[in-house]
Amino acid sequence: MNRNGVVLLDSYRLTQYAESVCCYICGHGNNFDAELCRHCYAPMALAHQAASQRICPKMVAAIGPSGTGKTVYLGMLTDMLSRQTEPMQLLARGAFSIALQQTTMAALARCEFPNKTPNEPDRWNWVHCQVLRKHKRPAELIMPDLAGESLMEEIEHPNTYAVIRAFLERCSGVMVMIDAARAQRGDSDEDFQIMKLVSYLCELNPDQKSGWSARPVSLVFTKADECERCFEDPQLFATQHTPGLFQLVRERLTRHRFFAVGVAGTTGYRNEFFGRMHVPLRIEPRGIVEPFQWLVESLGP
Amino acid sequence: MLQKYPYLPLVILGLASAACLALGAWLGQWIIGLGGAAAGLCLMALVEPMRRHLGLGGNEEEKFVNVVELTPAPRRAPPPSRPLPEPAADCSDGTAVEQMLAQGRYALLLRPQIASTLSLADVRMAQEALDVWMGIVPQGPVMMRCQRYDELEEDDKDRVERRIEVDGFYLDRYCVTNRQYKRFLDSGGYEQLALWDEAIWPAMLQFVDQTGAPGPRFWHNGTYESSKEDHPVVGICWYEATAYARWVGKRLPSDPEWVKAASWPVVAENGKLLQRKFPWGDAMDRSIVNLWGCGPGDTIPVSCHPQSACLGGPYQLIGNVWEWTSTNFGVWEPSTLRLESEMPLKSLRGGAFDTYFDTQATSFFQSGDNPLVRRHNIGFRCAVGVCDIYSADELAADGEGGEASTKHEEAVL
Repeated sequence: MNRNGVVLLDSYRLTQYAESVCCYICGHGNNFDAELCRHCYAPMALAHQAASQRICPKMVAAIGPSGTGKTVYLGMLTDMLSRQTEPMQLLARGAFSIALQQTTMAALARCEFPNKTPNEPDRWNWVHCQVLRKHKRPAELIMPDLAGESLMEEIEHPNTYAVIRAFLERCSGVMVMIDAARAQRGDSDEDFQIMKLVSYLCELNPDQKSGWSARPVSLVFTKADECERCFEDPQLFATQHTPGLFQLVRERLTRHRFFAVGVAGTTGYRNEFFGRMHVPLRIEPRGIVEPFQWLVESLGP
Repeated sequence: MLQKYPYLPLVILGLASAACLALGAWLGQWIIGLGGAAAGLCLMALVEPMRRHLGLGGNEEEKFVNVVELTPAPRRAPPPSRPLPEPAADCSDGTAVEQMLAQGRYALLLRPQIASTLSLADVRMAQEALDVWMGIVPQGPVMMRCQRYDELEEDDKDRVERRIEVDGFYLDRYCVTNRQYKRFLDSGGYEQLALWDEAIWPAMLQFVDQTGAPGPRFWHNGTYESSKEDHPVVGICWYEATAYARWVGKRLPSDPEWVKAASWPVVAENGKLLQRKFPWGDAMDRSIVNLWGCGPGDTIPVSCHPQSACLGGPYQLIGNVWEWTSTNFGVWEPSTLRLESEMPLKSLRGGAFDTYFDTQATSFFQSGDNPLVRRHNIGFRCAVGVCDIYSADELAADGEGGEASTKHEEAVL
């Protein structure tokens, strides 16, 4: 209001509200100032960045049951690639893209694992980054840190989490995380859960050329530091400890490869007032970049 | 030819097109002339894609408009290493003392029970070897702190530190190398049960290399990769490290001993201990250590980075490989924060070539592992107490020098 008592009309705001902005993940319209998509809770910053920078980021995901180490893997991967230039370098786009790296690294430096990713999609961390490779075009990628429980819930009851379905439909490739320590202990549940995941992907888009059977899938054995043989030959490990999964991916996925990764050198348990807590005794990453590198190379230009 | 003269096809096709056009005009056959020239121009347009398809493209960077030039590769070659001191010549036909010196078992010769039977000259030789290969750490106090000491408030009951008095001791200047460990293997160390803890005898059959022969996990046919002669031996469990230490007449350092050597405590006027975070000071210098992101991503020779040596002389206490100590893991933690594991873990110190955080490669950071694991990044160095060593001066003072006999030496062995 000015001194004459005239109210200035911000009419341009009405124009902005009249035009909806499409969510980059699910495609539904939102107000221009929405922080999260009201349909799928993905950050609208992804859509704004894509529009303002005239880029079309590809989507990749780390998926797997709860407790397989998706958050640790993604946090470690983003931190390692942001600290080095070979074989590739990762540059975060937007402050929100650094949150996952920050929280994961802070926890690991204290010799703790990061807290479990909440089931609510509005509390997930999303990473939008640029991947630089020598003599190749930079790749724009979006990687969310999905909650394992939500993911399995969506698989058991499709359409429970719209964001997961929308994201996986548009995803260009995934890294499927498998708990190697559980698999080695003979826990067949691990095998079944991953089989469900792969089946879900194949059902999601069954087209032979553009569907999941033709998209690249890295099958990553996590916590391989607890079973050293896994590092020597991940595929052999898969045939011995997750035979169902091995047969399924051989028949259904034309572009897949097995990998083994480890972050903690060794682990122990500490009694806290809220219960027994699994803690790493030191951090020594092994094989972290390879699954991601293969996936990015397989995505093509 | 095409790589040498990349524009030759274009010139030939251009000339051919012009010739077709001229021929057509001369013969009055305009259609044939124009057709030939057009065909030539089409072929000229196809030359560049064909060259790329055949992999004859020139500068790779020309292919992409938005090529990002990355900074030079960070992967570094191992830093130059100093030559390790030569052990006494390996003389199978020499005296028992000479053989033991060649095997690096000088500490065993300097044990009071044995040294008192040797000649002064032999003791002096062993003493010289000890001075070359080991550094001395004086007796004194060291403060052992719990893992979260720096994070916790001063009044927190879990902020535990204990002042430990350590006797003077000698510590190996270098981690035990593949070459040194092979001498132990070749002398039948894996068959001499007296060197091994009785509890571990049943498990000894699994201490084999990649070919099933006794030895460290990553060796083949009982020997190491030739380029890794002076690299620290890895792939050995705590029991193998202990057996080697016994064979050379030493032992593994205890946790307080290792921390004392690395942090080199100085008692301040108020009685408080000033301890270094790293052997060279309180700030990390990534140019003189082999950790993740500042080395070749593998072990390096044990004599590299002399600048990182602690005041007593031992090299590479930080980085390259974790080092087994004789103490159990977690003994410095308050009982409320003590870690649980399936079996008691042994303490590891110093960080390795793949240690990610600088905070986990300090004089104070303690990690641990199952004493039976044989990892790619765990090695060890040995120690021996000053009180366990019989010096040449003592021997001369006792006036017993020069009376040793071969008979005594044989008895020792």
